[in-house]
Amino acid sequence: MGAVVFLFGFILSMAAGQQALDLGGSSKDPLKETPGKVVVLIFVRTDCPISNRYAPLLQEMSVKYGSEAAFWMVFPDKNESPERIRSYLQEFNYKLPALRDTEHSLVKKSGAKVTPEVAVFNLKRDLVYHGRIDDLYREYGKARRAATTHELADAIKAANKGVAPPSAAAEGVGCFISDLK
Amino acid sequence: MTRTVEALGASMSFFLLAIALVLQSHSAPKPQSQSPAANQQVTFNRDIAPILFRSCAGCHRPGEAGPFPLLTYKDAKSHARQIAAVTQTKFMPPWLPEPSDFKFADELHLTDQQIALIAKWVEGGAMEGAAFDLPPAPIFVEGWQMGRPDLIIKAERPYLLPAKGNDQYWNFIFRTPVNQTRWLKAMEIRPGDKHVVHHANVLVDRTQSARLQESSPGAGFAGMEIKIESEAFDPDSHFLFWKPGTVPYTEPDGMALRLDAGTDLVLNIHLQPSGKPEWIQPSLGLYFADRPATLYPMLLQLENDRKLDIPPGERNFIVTDEFTLPADASLLAIYPHAHYLGHDLQAFAKLPDGTTKSLIHIPNWNLNWQAVYRYASPVNLPAGTVISMRYSYDNSNENALNPNDPPKRVIRGNRSTDEMAHLWLQVLPRSAPGETGDPRRVLQEAMARHNVEKNPADFEAHYNLAAMLQARGELADAMEQYEQALRIRPEDPTVNNAFAAANIAASHPDEAIKYLAAALRSRPDYFDAHYNLGTALAMQGDFRGAVEHFRSAVRLNPQDANAEANLGGALAETGNWKEARMHLERALAIDPNHELARENLEQVKRESPHENK
Repeated sequence: MGAVVFLFGFILSMAAGQQALDLGGSSKDPLKETPGKVVVLIFVRTDCPISNRYAPLLQEMSVKYGSEAAFWMVFPDKNESPERIRSYLQEFNYKLPALRDTEHSLVKKSGAKVTPEVAVFNLKRDLVYHGRIDDLYREYGKARRAATTHELADAIKAANKGVAPPSAAAEGVGCFISDLK
Repeated sequence: MTRTVEALGASMSFFLLAIALVLQSHSAPKPQSQSPAANQQVTFNRDIAPILFRSCAGCHRPGEAGPFPLLTYKDAKSHARQIAAVTQTKFMPPWLPEPSDFKFADELHLTDQQIALIAKWVEGGAMEGAAFDLPPAPIFVEGWQMGRPDLIIKAERPYLLPAKGNDQYWNFIFRTPVNQTRWLKAMEIRPGDKHVVHHANVLVDRTQSARLQESSPGAGFAGMEIKIESEAFDPDSHFLFWKPGTVPYTEPDGMALRLDAGTDLVLNIHLQPSGKPEWIQPSLGLYFADRPATLYPMLLQLENDRKLDIPPGERNFIVTDEFTLPADASLLAIYPHAHYLGHDLQAFAKLPDGTTKSLIHIPNWNLNWQAVYRYASPVNLPAGTVISMRYSYDNSNENALNPNDPPKRVIRGNRSTDEMAHLWLQVLPRSAPGETGDPRRVLQEAMARHNVEKNPADFEAHYNLAAMLQARGELADAMEQYEQALRIRPEDPTVNNAFAAANIAASHPDEAIKYLAAALRSRPDYFDAHYNLGTALAMQGDFRGAVEHFRSAVRLNPQDANAEANLGGALAETGNWKEARMHLERALAIDPNHELARENLEQVKRESPHENK
């Protein structure tokens, strides 16, 4: 009996160790923080020019949809320190809470492949959309003058209505998260 | 009687030309050509570091254009798949031309073998390898690349690049602080934050014509393509160009660029918003040569913008132009230019022996990575060589850079959403044996005639040919070309003034006065027209009228010794000795060697001894 309890406890502590950390170093599960609101995770890294270029749009969207969705910045690069991330947020005028996903638990949960990518979880915390923010980039170095599809906005609206978004996933253009293992 | 005002060489015909730029080059360690045996694991230290150090680290290091450094294993590992992806698609390193008949200096493309090696490294787990395999890290010069410049000039006011939006094109005007003619052998362009600058060109503005576009001095102005007026027979000669990775380039001996007092340097810069607001305040480092130039390169332009009328959906719209070289020339550098619909850009030289050589071939044009390409060694083009360009445009949705979604009809124009079909060549013309005179003139005239034939309804083509003929003394032919230009743009002040100047030279002041009046109707503050009108009126004996216009000229350009001298002469004719003297003395203060002013001043002193003190 004792051995079983011990084993159980061991698994729990592993799970806790894999969780994302806030910039103060405490574990934080963004899916448990804001019941009653859709959750949007934004995967970025500080040295990815494509994700940087989206900063003004993402900040605007977090204000526009602030009453219905909670936005979190997620930094999957374990080498990006809380200090570096803080100064980055300030530089790019982000006013969103940030998490360091050093063990990629949120990356796995969200199916994120590149930065920038987003994951949208509905009120039941099902992943309803993951992938690009919009179709501004067609490929590396080739951006449209303006996006013609708006996957993130569509997904937030659908999740709030409790319906499935027009698409569940769309491939993004950016910097590979798998390079950060 | 005092001597009359001499009809001073009716002033200044300006020659209209567009854009000029210069190349810098890129230097880096030579590649190491070790490749792993078939089954050997690819490692960073042995196989990948030499490639990155040579072809990537120039930009991918702190302070340079690359968004992240690629100097260590850790740097490369954290972008490994990305490196494989961007090299596979040839997005990186940014080098547009395919290998063709002539090699360029500092070619930056990777070989297929190198690209495959990177892919294999990533597939194999992006291993580091043995420490002893790692080549020494490249050494880069910090700060000014050629040591402290002789002169550093900084943009007067910074430009605030907004955080978001489309690409921006901005122009900074540098008022060159040289007080005498200097010869520039190199220029380092420091464009500001290199992360947001795609490319930058410096245009030499000898007539301060770009300043007219600034809302206030030093303010700069927006615009992708700018037009600089240049003096006849002083063709643009050098490409002054910056792109990421550029290291300054020193002109070969004798090929320095003339920089006069009052010359403006206009920096045309292409910026891409980065997600945060950025202040851009470029500076230029100037390096002077000890001696004036002895070799005179020039820029030739092939183009056919008038043929640009690209229907939506069209995937292969072709525009061509060809020009036969009238003299031997060495081709030094080439700069193809189109906007976002340009797709496949080619230039050829058909030599007199019948063989055709490819001068450049860019199969996947991307405006964002445009560059000036300098040949590794000069390409010899004998007289009779036909230089041609063949550009293909893709106005379909397949073109990822198409600015219109859905595609729409696109024609020529200066905005980035319009199109262009330009090919610039830097050539060094050579005189034929036994021929004297400046070989550039032969080329310029042939180019001007070519343009008139190509575009009979083109104002600038006629104007440029006319200015050239006039300067060569072929007055009747020049006047015929001016008249054609006037038929196309009857109100244009420049051509009205130039035609009037030709009439003055042909001793028809009455005719000249009509056209100068027209020039001043369109541009009341036109120095040249006031000056020439003063001259024409003086030729007719109307010295009071002449005084009025020379006064306007002096007001518009207080540093012009000729205007002061003529004002003094005309005042003397009206008996206003006192003022005449003052202006003649001022002319001599500006130019102590001004013969006419000196002679007239002596004459005034003789005629009005009672004024002498």
